[in-house]
Amino acid sequence: MDGIHDLGGREGFGPIDRHGEDLAFHAPWEARVMGMVRAMSRPGDWSIDWFRHCRELIDPIDYLTRPYYDQWLQTYGAMLVNSGTVTVDELASGKSDGRDAGLARPVSPDSVGDGKAALLRFDRPYDGAPEFAVGDAVRAVRHGVPGHTRLPAYARGRRGTVHAYRGAHVFPDAKAVGEERAEPLYTVAYDAAELWAEAAGRRDRVYVDLWESYLERP
Amino acid sequence: MAKHRSDDIAKIHRALHSHLPSEPALRVKALESLLVEKGMVDPRTVDAWVEIYTEKIGPKRGAQVVAKAWADPAFKTALLDDGTAAITALGYEGWATGHLEVVENTAAVHNLVVCTLCSCYPHSILGIPPAWYKLAAYRARAVREPRAVLAEFGVNLADDIEVRVWDSTSELRYMVLPQRPAGTAGWDENQLAAIVTRNAMIGTDRDLRTG
Repeated sequence: MDGIHDLGGREGFGPIDRHGEDLAFHAPWEARVMGMVRAMSRPGDWSIDWFRHCRELIDPIDYLTRPYYDQWLQTYGAMLVNSGTVTVDELASGKSDGRDAGLARPVSPDSVGDGKAALLRFDRPYDGAPEFAVGDAVRAVRHGVPGHTRLPAYARGRRGTVHAYRGAHVFPDAKAVGEERAEPLYTVAYDAAELWAEAAGRRDRVYVDLWESYLERP
Repeated sequence: MAKHRSDDIAKIHRALHSHLPSEPALRVKALESLLVEKGMVDPRTVDAWVEIYTEKIGPKRGAQVVAKAWADPAFKTALLDDGTAAITALGYEGWATGHLEVVENTAAVHNLVVCTLCSCYPHSILGIPPAWYKLAAYRARAVREPRAVLAEFGVNLADDIEVRVWDSTSELRYMVLPQRPAGTAGWDENQLAAIVTRNAMIGTDRDLRTG
């Protein structure tokens, strides 16, 4: 999706504001959002990819102007409403209308331990052989797709080299619509000058993790 | 069941924008009250996650990993080969480090990590990312003008140093292994860890200060 989130290479943002860079949270509510997201019971068909897509769909002005954890709040609110777990009115009032959410009991504080419970892996068994090998020249497809994808616009149509094969990983474009399948994942190295005219003459590189169906032979 | 339709979500976002209080603290309070009442959240579990990510899990873990890599060549080899296995041996595995890739700075190479599409970050070893890492300005500029970004952070690179920017578009998470500064021979791991900055492990810092 050609969304507001796809920011790589956009110009005009000016200097980077480093205000408060040594603080994990800038207000107590930010910490509550992070903690709630880790603590809440949730519908079984949610995924990191569905979350990312729902965040990408925040109104573009809100996406660029709301603080980061406000975007999390907005995104989880939308996901809860979409799943039929809560209503907009309930989110506005903070009061339940009495319907049962139909979800598992929330995890207990004892389960948090030292935070290791949050470890997830995304590599999966795969029957096929990867199409590309390390060192192969590849070109990312020219066009984006509607919906969620992890091919950034700046890499589309650009020629790079396979730097590493990472195994088959859950394919985000499909997972974001509720289908899990694995696809070979590569790290592709792009010469900066292939991506940006002003980088001509520099040896710098940009490395992007790309799934096999984003790539073709040049 | 989630209905995975983009237009539905865009409409819900608009409804939330119109119907919820504009002050985020009020919206968060309402959400927590609601989820507790619905039996979906135990507030003590929220407290526990806040405590662990405010006080226990942060860049000091990453600094210990770097210090060990400097002090122990076998660990460094293992860390570069399989970052997740290496940090698991230290008990540091967790949120967003299921596939950790560690990239090494050298005299000829400088690495910089970004997530242009969202804000991916290796939480269980670096903690909560700094605010600037999540801002549009950093996400937009790091891939296009990394040298200008680095200069803003006080890192002025010679032209013959190659910049490698890692855009975190998959579930791999990147961490930079900075160079060990001169004048640290014989230091123990805790002394070494104390000079490793969070920004050096993202790549917006390079020459670590020893005193």
